[in-house]
Amino acid sequence: MSSLHASFQRTAARRAALIDYGRFFLLAGLAVWLLTAGIHELGYPWQWYRVPRFLFTMENGAWQAGPLLEGLGVTLEISVLSLFCATLLGLTTALFRLSSSFTARVLARGYLELIRNTPLLIQIFFVYFVLSPVLDIGAFASAVLALSLFEGAYAAEILRAGIVSLPQGQWEAAHSLGLGIFDTYRYVILPQAVRHVLPPLAGQGVSLIKDSSLVSTLAIYDLTMQGQRIVAETFLAFEIWFTVAAIYLLFTFALSLTVRTMENRMKEVPLRGTGGAA
Amino acid sequence: MNADERIIEALDLTKTFPGGVIALDGFSLTVRRGEVVVIIGPSGSGKSTFLRCLNGLEEIDAGSIVIDGIPLDHHRKQRLLIRQEVGMVFQSFNLFPHMTVRENIDLAQVHVRKKARREAAETTMALLAKVGIADKENRYPHELSGGQQQRVAIARALAMSPKVMLFDEATSALDPEMIGEVLEVMRKLAAEGMTMVVVTHEMGFAREVGDRIVFMEAGRIVEEARTELFFSAPRVERTRTFLGQIL
Repeated sequence: MSSLHASFQRTAARRAALIDYGRFFLLAGLAVWLLTAGIHELGYPWQWYRVPRFLFTMENGAWQAGPLLEGLGVTLEISVLSLFCATLLGLTTALFRLSSSFTARVLARGYLELIRNTPLLIQIFFVYFVLSPVLDIGAFASAVLALSLFEGAYAAEILRAGIVSLPQGQWEAAHSLGLGIFDTYRYVILPQAVRHVLPPLAGQGVSLIKDSSLVSTLAIYDLTMQGQRIVAETFLAFEIWFTVAAIYLLFTFALSLTVRTMENRMKEVPLRGTGGAA
Repeated sequence: MNADERIIEALDLTKTFPGGVIALDGFSLTVRRGEVVVIIGPSGSGKSTFLRCLNGLEEIDAGSIVIDGIPLDHHRKQRLLIRQEVGMVFQSFNLFPHMTVRENIDLAQVHVRKKARREAAETTMALLAKVGIADKENRYPHELSGGQQQRVAIARALAMSPKVMLFDEATSALDPEMIGEVLEVMRKLAAEGMTMVVVTHEMGFAREVGDRIVFMEAGRIVEEARTELFFSAPRVERTRTFLGQIL
């Protein structure tokens, strides 16, 4: 009786899996059909063979980066610098928001609301046309500043969420040992908070790489600007834009993977699991 | 009582939580050096709040607290100073989960007491041996049983060489078979002459280790007496009912 029941369960499970696979292939087939039909309808004269030379060229037996890879270099440079500044800014703002000082809280709140409720493009223009003459900085520094200000605001909220999610007992234990506020954050709170919010923080990093394409409006020759220039010269609109998108995808995906690996490694030390009945 | 014998002087403490719950209502208590005071009472009577006020985890609304001659007031420096002299053990252990046992115990020695790493490590090992888990120094808290975690927490507090130890229901979150090992450590500490203020429901422990019992209800002292007297001849009717319920 029970073996009959078990075999019935197995059949049911197998059938459920089969239906699931069926759905997947149906959906994938639909996507492929949509894509090919679209491309066909477009009647576009694809010329992919003209693309590689914009990535790299072979001169005198040596590889040379083409304009797209040069642009990628600029994009990465801006992204890494901004990521660093945005993290610092985000951390400072998060601590300001949680501070007991009224001034610090108001300052942080004002910055967050201002940045999060206005478009990034306008912020970039504002920094470049209004602030940069005052600060005496060029387009590149303006771009890094604008991106850092923008992403820093989001990073601040993510970090704050990570900090307040920790059990109150962690603060109390640190305080009861005589640790000051700075040491408590540094050794007890932040190492745990950052681990909690690593995935959304990485998502913000991915956003930063993508958002950096907006700095092309300041005539900075990043990946997007190079793509735009090549399209204007060659009319290879789809080929170049798809290539540009694929390069962005490659790097954002690599970043996501790296963070996921870090996360898995950190999981070896679970954050919860202490605290008894509390 | 001689003035410098007093290590804790709490006078007329008042504390009302937002929402109107009165936790302390004119509560006063003096503890002498080397004394073990056990505070008992029904839940919500303000026992834990009193302990948490003693090292400034909660603010008092009125009254005064002086610990080893240092007044606990609004100056941050003094608050930190007092916390260095007062160790606390929590019901929920509150170990730092991202640090090993050794790192948990080293932390305050290195960053608050400014001890050299090697010196801190020696103290840590000695304390771990004392609480009976010398072999767990490189484990993380989640790898230990509740009783072991609480013993690490005691070692962590002792590492600051405090003058007073506060125990806030240190055994309430433990499985019954682990309560004994934690009480054993506390018993040893008391025998060494550590000044202790213990909030507990373990009446056996209170009777055996406590020099003085304080029975609290609704933020006030109902009865306070030397241990023998408290259990053998309680004066107040409410105490008799309470003891009748729990013994």
